[in-house]
Amino acid sequence: MTTPATLRATAEEQAAHLPALLARAEHLAGAVLLGAHGRRRAGVGDDFWQYRPAQMGDSRRMVDHRRSAMGDQEFVREREWQIAQSVMLWVDQGASMRFSSSGKLPQKADRVRLLGLALAILLLRGGERVGLTGTALPPRRGTPQILRLAELFTRDDETDYSPPEHRAMIPHARAVFISDFMGGLEGVQLALTKAADRGVRGVLYHVLDPSEEAFPFSGRTVFESIGGTVRHETLMANDLRSRYLDRLAERKAELQRLCALTGWQYGLHHTDGSAQSALLWLYGALDARAGGVA
Amino acid sequence: MTVLGGIGFTAPWLLAALLALPILWLILRAVPPAPVRRRFPGVALLLGLKDDESVSDRTPWWLLLLRMLAVAAIILGLAGPVLNPQNEQADGSGPLLIVLDGTWAGATRWPRQTEAIEAQLTRAGRAGRTVGFLSLTRPEKPAFQSADVWRSRLAGFTPEPWQPSPADIDRAAAIMAELPSFDTLWFSDALEYSGRETLLGAMQARGNVEVFQTSGNVMAIAPATYEGGVIKLSVNRTAAGLERDVILRAEGRDPAGNARILATATAYFDTDATVASAELSLPAELRARVSGFSIAGERSAGAVTLTDDALRRREVALIDSRNDAEGLQLLSPLHYIEKALAPNADLIHGGLNDVLPANPDVIVLADVATLSPAEQGPLTAWIEQGGMLVRFAGPRIAASDISRSEEDPLMPVRLRAGGRSVGGAMSWGAPKTLAAFRDSSPFFGLEVPEDVTVSAQVVAQPDPTLAERAIAALSDGTPLVTRKALGQGQVVLFHVTATAEWSTLPLSGLFVQMLERLAVSSSSASPAADSLEGSTWTPLRVMDGYGALSDAGSLPGVDGADLLTTPTGPKLQPGIYASGDRRLARNVFAADATLTPAGWPADVPVRGLAVAPEQPVAGWLLSLSILFLLADVVASLALSGRLLSRSNATLAALLALPLLAQPAPATAQDTADNFAIQSAAEVSLAYVLTGDTKVDDVARAGLTGLSDVLFFRTSIEPAPPTGVNLETDELAFFPILYWPITPEQPRPSAEAYTKLNDYLRSGGLILFDTRDADIARFGAASPNGRKLQDLAAPLDIPPLEPLPEDHVLTRTFYLLQDFPGRHLSRDVWVEAAPPDAEQIEGMPFRNLNDGVTPVVIGGNDWASAWAIRSDGGPLLPIGRGYAGERQRELAYRFGVNLVMHVLTGNYKSDQVHVPALLDRLGQ
Repeated sequence: MTTPATLRATAEEQAAHLPALLARAEHLAGAVLLGAHGRRRAGVGDDFWQYRPAQMGDSRRMVDHRRSAMGDQEFVREREWQIAQSVMLWVDQGASMRFSSSGKLPQKADRVRLLGLALAILLLRGGERVGLTGTALPPRRGTPQILRLAELFTRDDETDYSPPEHRAMIPHARAVFISDFMGGLEGVQLALTKAADRGVRGVLYHVLDPSEEAFPFSGRTVFESIGGTVRHETLMANDLRSRYLDRLAERKAELQRLCALTGWQYGLHHTDGSAQSALLWLYGALDARAGGVA
Repeated sequence: MTVLGGIGFTAPWLLAALLALPILWLILRAVPPAPVRRRFPGVALLLGLKDDESVSDRTPWWLLLLRMLAVAAIILGLAGPVLNPQNEQADGSGPLLIVLDGTWAGATRWPRQTEAIEAQLTRAGRAGRTVGFLSLTRPEKPAFQSADVWRSRLAGFTPEPWQPSPADIDRAAAIMAELPSFDTLWFSDALEYSGRETLLGAMQARGNVEVFQTSGNVMAIAPATYEGGVIKLSVNRTAAGLERDVILRAEGRDPAGNARILATATAYFDTDATVASAELSLPAELRARVSGFSIAGERSAGAVTLTDDALRRREVALIDSRNDAEGLQLLSPLHYIEKALAPNADLIHGGLNDVLPANPDVIVLADVATLSPAEQGPLTAWIEQGGMLVRFAGPRIAASDISRSEEDPLMPVRLRAGGRSVGGAMSWGAPKTLAAFRDSSPFFGLEVPEDVTVSAQVVAQPDPTLAERAIAALSDGTPLVTRKALGQGQVVLFHVTATAEWSTLPLSGLFVQMLERLAVSSSSASPAADSLEGSTWTPLRVMDGYGALSDAGSLPGVDGADLLTTPTGPKLQPGIYASGDRRLARNVFAADATLTPAGWPADVPVRGLAVAPEQPVAGWLLSLSILFLLADVVASLALSGRLLSRSNATLAALLALPLLAQPAPATAQDTADNFAIQSAAEVSLAYVLTGDTKVDDVARAGLTGLSDVLFFRTSIEPAPPTGVNLETDELAFFPILYWPITPEQPRPSAEAYTKLNDYLRSGGLILFDTRDADIARFGAASPNGRKLQDLAAPLDIPPLEPLPEDHVLTRTFYLLQDFPGRHLSRDVWVEAAPPDAEQIEGMPFRNLNDGVTPVVIGGNDWASAWAIRSDGGPLLPIGRGYAGERQRELAYRFGVNLVMHVLTGNYKSDQVHVPALLDRLGQ
């Protein structure tokens, strides 16, 4: 079972393989707070930017004596102006995620929690502020946030297909939605349009079990959702296969269309694939300069 | 039984049920498989989808076929199919007589014959015929009973190791004449014997005769002969035809006494030969071990030939009195005896002390009068262990005083001085002839030739024992050969010379026969019938029809003449016969016999033994149907997708089932072995379990503490101490045994005391601790002291003394003078020094190189001083303050010295160490 401690340990392990991710920040005042994004200009930050001759008005305390001692002139050391970005995660904790088609594969829920937390760790190390959508955990900086996230990620949701949480999104922040998107698309559409209204960009990450992609069933079968709310009986399951696959493809196309409309990115991941490559893709997606972000 | 296509059915109407199969097919097809419940999140995408067809997925055709096959196999199996049904010809009616030759010739193929008989019994049983059995080697009036009764008794028929005798044939013919009409099945062993035609006629007069006879060759091996240093073997077969090799095995016991094949030889049958021969050259030692020869691959009494004395060659040592003198060959006192023995004995020459270690069977002393005491002792011992001494008289014995006034142990009788001479030039009377042998004599039955005369001899003193010791006498009653038993062996004296000087006996054939009868020599050829006349031979081991030997039990003895000539039969069974020391083998197949195949008239049908027995296959078919049904289970599960998901656990359980049959738990033997292995692997200090838990715990803790001290300070690295139960545990693994005395402990049993004494004698040391501070000064006043005296009384303890100042215990590792434990008593008792130990001037201690003292007795409660807790701290307080710790240290030092003493003995008492010790003592 996933406990906060083990979840964090595995997530740390995943995150250790990547350099600190610096999510692209957008220059919008409301959401901008001091953080770790170099603005290519002198300002308040941790990294060295340049030495400049001391001017009138600089306090004595600002003089960099190591540099100044090399000559007669006094220098002031300037640092790069850095800002931080808020990233909000929504990781599907619904009952439909607690499914794996074979004992060798992880449950979808395990995989998405791992990805979500690994991403959060990377972002937090990069100095970003990370939180959850909704009011449960607003974005904050620092390592303790990892613990809070890990804690929240282990709370199962009993709803069969939970809709994306779209409340309390900070304007112009970034968002990451990870789910199997098996529930109604209305919730997704609502969330994305609301995000687009507030200028929130992000990533829609679609995680599926291989059997959901292949539908390897035949014979007389009664299908039930994990929560047991939905049920469908068929006499010849193999006959349904092509129609199921059509519907799945339709759903993916719809999601991609929604993303294209709202400026989000769409990604697909199967639980038999490597978590590392999934994280890499998420890294790229959040870092994407080609993401059409102005 | 109905036969359909070569397969018989006992219940053919059941086959009609096969018609129901197509109906079953339709029914099975119509029933859909049960639905599978699956958890699947993608169900959301399925909502609203309709099935194209309302008919459910059908069971696949191959699964239906599997089920059909299973049902068909059940139906076929219940219909009782039988392979090779035996009704190719009409069965007769009326009683059936099964005649067996029952000889050794059929033994090799006996199982096949039994199968053939069983097939005929089955047939007869089906036809309802009664069956009787008649074995020609043991003819008895047959009882006609149902075939099933006989079938259960069939295994009781065994072949006999002889051929039917004419008497047997007559009896069998007489039995048949009494019976009402019957049909005959004659199981012949394919060997001709006289009277067969008569029997056949008698059978044909009563009904049909059918003969069953093997097509194989009967082989027999002739008795082995020993000629010119090789063993010659010959093998006969009934019919020439194919060339083939036959392997002959020499069987016997190896030096360890196990029966094994000592050698093999190959005999080669040429295409048209019925006799093949082989030669085998074996060393004398190996040859003496051979007990018989057999043909590999044949299992009959004829394929085994037993060996007897004919193959044995005795070792005879010949010693005369003048081996240093040069003389003419013919004057050698041993010449005649050498000639008599050389063909069938191995001769050894040399001095007496040289030949005795070779342990010959017989030693011949020709006219040797006196033996030195150094020779006499070993010679007497050798005779007493079963040797045979044969002495010949001569001028020296006649002249000596040996066995004159009192009987010499190596002479059978006392001798008169000088001997006598008859029929010479200076005497009256004619040379004496031999009297006939009495029936108590080993020579009884031998023909006495007229021309054997005796002209001089040594004369026995008349003694009460003389009559029974004389085994041959002259015509006037004077003993000529006397014999007496000595231990397990015997001494024989010929009162004449071994040369022709005193008598003509050595020149006659009788001399050789007498030596044979005395088992001095054994004849190489099989003995002639007349030479066995008058002797009685008792069977030792007899052979059965398969050639296996068994103890003869209480079979009666056989007259010597009959043994060779009479054909084998119930009264003369083949085997090993013994008379006195001589052994004779009576074999089934004689040396000059031949094997003749049995011939049959043309009107008698002869069939082979090969039968394809009826084989009911119902069981196989039913098993097959179960297999089909199991396959159906697996296939159905696989089809519905449940094989790997839900039944994983079941499958694992099924696979794990055989693993549950684990080997039995460790036995008591293992426990004892483990104890021995663990104890012997490392040095371990041991203490005697007294039964008092507190004392035992302290003893364990004390020895643990001492072990740790030894580990830290010395090169001894002991294993954790061992508690020893005197009754059950082996003591030999422990160098030292600490024995705390409690008044309550039980006295060990007698076996335990035996073990303790063995332990003490083999160098073990027991440290007795009365734990009472020796307040009674080693007396019986304290209860512990009394208990110690009680316990130690049966022990083999040497005289004791208080530990002297120069005892090696005072310096084996530490230099000590006090041996405190928890108490501070000076008195510790050890084995007393030998009274002759003296102190050399200027030396600090006596020279006492005399092993380890077996016991150390004291009352200082050492274990309490040594005892440590599990955390390493001392368990019990000793004394007061620092002085107490010093006392504990000294106690440890005593323990170290003691263990060192046990393990190194008196090494430190060696004078080599004196300078170093003096140096240290000086400081």
